[in-house]
Amino acid sequence: MSAELPFKRILIANRGEIAIRITRACRELGISSIAVFSDADRDSLHVFLADQAYNIGPAPSKESYLNYKKIIEVAKEAQVDAIHPGYGFLSENTTFAQACKDAGIVFIGPTKENIEAMGDKLSAKALMKKANVPCVPGSDGGVETIEEGRSISNKIGYPIIIKATAGGGGKGMRVVRQDSEFESAFRACRSEGQNYFANPTVYIEKFVSDPKHIEIQVFGDTHGNVCHLFERECSVQRRHQKIIEEAPSPSVPPEVRKRMGDAAVRAAKQINYVGAGTIEFIFDNQTKEFYFMEMNTRLQVEHPITEATTNVDLVKEQIYVAAGRPLSFKQEDLVQHGHAIEARICAEDPITYKPSPGVIRACRHPQGPFMRVDSYAYPGYEVPIYYDPMIAKVITWGETREEAIDRMQRALTEFVLTGIKTNIVLHKTILDHPKFRDGSYTTQFIEKNFEVIEPQLFKQVEDPMFLIAAAITAYNDRKSKDVRQLNLVSNWKRLGRKIALRT
Amino acid sequence: MYFEAELRGRKYKIDVTEHRHSWKVSLQPEGQDWKNYEISKTDFKQAEEYISFLFKGQSYLVDVIGKDTEYTVFVRNSYRAIRIYNDEMLLHDSLKKGGGLSGGADLRAGMPGKIIEIFVKPGDIIPENKPLLIMEAMKMENEMRSTREVKIKEVCVKQGDSVEAGAILIKFEENYTLS
Repeated sequence: MSAELPFKRILIANRGEIAIRITRACRELGISSIAVFSDADRDSLHVFLADQAYNIGPAPSKESYLNYKKIIEVAKEAQVDAIHPGYGFLSENTTFAQACKDAGIVFIGPTKENIEAMGDKLSAKALMKKANVPCVPGSDGGVETIEEGRSISNKIGYPIIIKATAGGGGKGMRVVRQDSEFESAFRACRSEGQNYFANPTVYIEKFVSDPKHIEIQVFGDTHGNVCHLFERECSVQRRHQKIIEEAPSPSVPPEVRKRMGDAAVRAAKQINYVGAGTIEFIFDNQTKEFYFMEMNTRLQVEHPITEATTNVDLVKEQIYVAAGRPLSFKQEDLVQHGHAIEARICAEDPITYKPSPGVIRACRHPQGPFMRVDSYAYPGYEVPIYYDPMIAKVITWGETREEAIDRMQRALTEFVLTGIKTNIVLHKTILDHPKFRDGSYTTQFIEKNFEVIEPQLFKQVEDPMFLIAAAITAYNDRKSKDVRQLNLVSNWKRLGRKIALRT
Repeated sequence: MYFEAELRGRKYKIDVTEHRHSWKVSLQPEGQDWKNYEISKTDFKQAEEYISFLFKGQSYLVDVIGKDTEYTVFVRNSYRAIRIYNDEMLLHDSLKKGGGLSGGADLRAGMPGKIIEIFVKPGDIIPENKPLLIMEAMKMENEMRSTREVKIKEVCVKQGDSVEAGAILIKFEENYTLS
């Protein structure tokens, strides 16, 4: 406990597991935690675990968790010193950051200028080039003629990708692997752009054929210090959303790791970054080259794997930095030890990835050595339809990558969650996949290499087990119902009805 | 207690007998012989919100959710859907759905039974939720009501008839609109 911290009360402008994570940090620091909740979240665990809780409006996020005026109002009423936005919702909203400042409340996060600098992709890329951070080489604008396009492509080297500026959904995109293919691809892209999006403008970028998503955790303070806390690999994605993350990445050699970390620190220093942030890179697994994609100016969902491998409590550090303290570590103090994996448990169909909200019946979280569960699930809790389907994160640590993976398999086997569909079985299938085991997976892994088929899900369970369990339960259900209560029609009633019908 | 079940497109007959210390469950996959399982009650125990089921040397934590005839068995991080039913459960089902399948162009028998009484004749206009006929099944009288305003076109059965499941009992005028 830290007596000198200027914060006595912190409002947590978020819900679910991350609100609980922040409540825990507050409690360990002797700070009162103030939760907020929408009408749909009265029964959410983050409300139960906080010191105080305020209703902030109807279920839709727009009217509650994104309603910054209401949140500021509650913050004033509750007399808080600071607000932690968590991730998502208002965490990267400059209007909110400014509104906090205007109300005399500390926003636990980067400055408004930090968020603005990284919010616009084009200006961010320009800033990164200035800081000598590698960006995906390309035309940096529209390309009008074949000659211009070929000269750019030859300069950056094949393979390249031509994209229609207005394109999307796979239309108006062509990968070109050699100069001779360029002309026809260029024409096709322009005409697709014209036909589908009424805009023939195209641009050219280096094509990364084995792309991995690798990001560096950075931390800055108000005294000009910036450190990095190494990388996380987040290439296992479905619908462009991460579901498994690991640190360190199995694909980054030590020398490249050093260069990535240095580049990330340069990037953060370029904008005088304050607080926790993440520089996302696209990493070419063939050439081991990395290129800046974007910066997330907030705490990340997957921050626990960095905590597990660096022994830094990132949420507490955010609070210290917001209170004006210098970083509690120096770059040379930081080492990555062991290996950590996180699996995001979502209320969704493991085959179609469709969200599956509903009432949780049984819920038994895994326990045991070298692991952590950040969850807001409990028996009887109804997962609301309004918000993200992620209900829990399981994080395991191991001396080696293999041990961390085996431990995750073990933990997920222990996880009992019934009543709703979850993606636990998808995680288990991924963890056993040879491309995951050898670390060669890319961001296309789930799309390309993966199909969960129903019979795989129960390869070790025989059909009679299901039938017997269902039959005994059906028997017990029947026994407890008295059949005779059902709609027995007496002769008198029948007569009365007959008479009524005659009229 | 006798059930029929469907699991992964396959049909089964199941018989469950409760004894003092055990369950006797017999399974017959369609086209195969009956198999008998003796399940000690100490091997099938409710624990917290789920069932601990020790079966053929394996330990399963199982949760079974039954809604009408649709059962879902959760085990080992996933689940399977099973349709399980007997005559009585089908009757419950049809009662819940408004006393017969009278939403369409005709009223059909949800299950085999005997016609006890008929309250309507061709040409009658019957308001919503009025009795059409009474059918006995499993020694229970099941009153079938109109689920909307209907005009009777034809009564296909008479008092005392025995009918099979799915048999048409009453036909409604298809083009009839509310008066």
